[in-house]
Amino acid sequence: MNDKHLILSDEELTAYIDGELSDAEVSRIEAILHSNERVAARLEFLSRSGLPFRQAFEPLLAAAPKTELDAMLGVAPRDAKPAAARAGRRGFLGAIAACLVAGVVGDRAFIGIRNRMHAPDESSEWRTVVAEYIALYTVDTLAGPSPSDDAKAAQLARLDDKLGLSLSPQTVSLPGIEFKRAQLLQYDDKPLAQIAYLDPETGPLALCIVRSDVGTKEPDVEGRHGMNVVYWSNPTHAFMLIGRIPIDRMQELAEDVRKRTSA
Amino acid sequence: MPVAYTTFPAYSRAKPKPSAKPAALEEKPVAEALIISEADIRSGLADNLVRLWRYGLVLSHRRDIADDLVQQTCLRALERVEQFEAGTRLDRWLFSILHSIWLNEIRSRRVRLGQGFVDADEALVIDGAHATETHVMANQVLRLVNALPDAQRAAVFLAYVEGLSYKEVASVLDIPIGTVMSRLAAARAKIAANVSGEGAT
Repeated sequence: MNDKHLILSDEELTAYIDGELSDAEVSRIEAILHSNERVAARLEFLSRSGLPFRQAFEPLLAAAPKTELDAMLGVAPRDAKPAAARAGRRGFLGAIAACLVAGVVGDRAFIGIRNRMHAPDESSEWRTVVAEYIALYTVDTLAGPSPSDDAKAAQLARLDDKLGLSLSPQTVSLPGIEFKRAQLLQYDDKPLAQIAYLDPETGPLALCIVRSDVGTKEPDVEGRHGMNVVYWSNPTHAFMLIGRIPIDRMQELAEDVRKRTSA
Repeated sequence: MPVAYTTFPAYSRAKPKPSAKPAALEEKPVAEALIISEADIRSGLADNLVRLWRYGLVLSHRRDIADDLVQQTCLRALERVEQFEAGTRLDRWLFSILHSIWLNEIRSRRVRLGQGFVDADEALVIDGAHATETHVMANQVLRLVNALPDAQRAAVFLAYVEGLSYKEVASVLDIPIGTVMSRLAAARAKIAANVSGEGAT
């Protein structure tokens, strides 16, 4: 189906389907449709895209965090003057912070903003962002067969190249947990290495690495988005292992990886 | 070859009747809408939060970013009450604010894959674990829309889900009507090809 030689363009036929044409244009197009089978066939083809879009997207409305959104609007300053835009903004964020303290609102978006406001510490912020990202992963995200050793090595080589690392399938392997993929993400326009694994019991987990000059730090632990995080850094990079495996086991896994990646 | 060109199975637009007129004001008579106060905007925002969030999710594929987008849209709308044109649709105005925040402030930063954010399928599907047949159908439609390039996806969402006219879509996206038409035509051709490919005509 090539529309190049048709009298009517896809744009015109689409506008016809969408009821966006004037009566005169509609008459013109219908006259052509009656006399030209190829145009009619193209219209029939395009009209197959007429799906129940509205109904399909309806459930996403129910998925919205309505309570949090209402709360967000409810705490916006009622006396905000258009001229005092900056002050209004700060007032709003202050109100959100107050809500957090009061335990009224605990949405992660607010927490993210609070961190951005009060914790300019780059070394913890990247973990916030990664945690938000990994929290979206499900078993399905990592479905499919695991890559071969060669494919793993090739994926890792790309990370090595961008981040100045030297990873191998062995250095990043986790016992009893499947390596699913290694990919390069971006964090504030800087490369971020993400190696994703699937634990048969607790689901996705990931080892993430960024360049870092904060210096060597011993492993520490924290909880983010219902996941356990073990993080550490060496003179050149910061690491975090994040997943839903119990913290003791996470620390063991992290320690293994740490030794192998620093060797 | 007989072709039934006048029927469009499952075609879902609310107003299939050809019309070149701008969308009518559905709720507020113009006379009453002349003076818009912050309270009006606030109440309009309250009515539209969930729809704004959904648009944010469609654009970003991320729930947390959708949260952020709604929040910043609220702030921006309340800061710019005086820029709202009395007599126009408030929801359209809010959509355009959200879209511009997305385009100019959010899209270019934070974690992202080379071609966009998370794989579309990760964030934009309905709870797979409890998939009923309706959900399966809905998810198929969502996947088809998610598979579109960003610009086409936004146009399809606004026109076919939110029911905006071409003119309104052009205004929200801040592009010429001709561009809206070509995006929708390209999107329809792509979706039609995918639907035909699956044999699900």
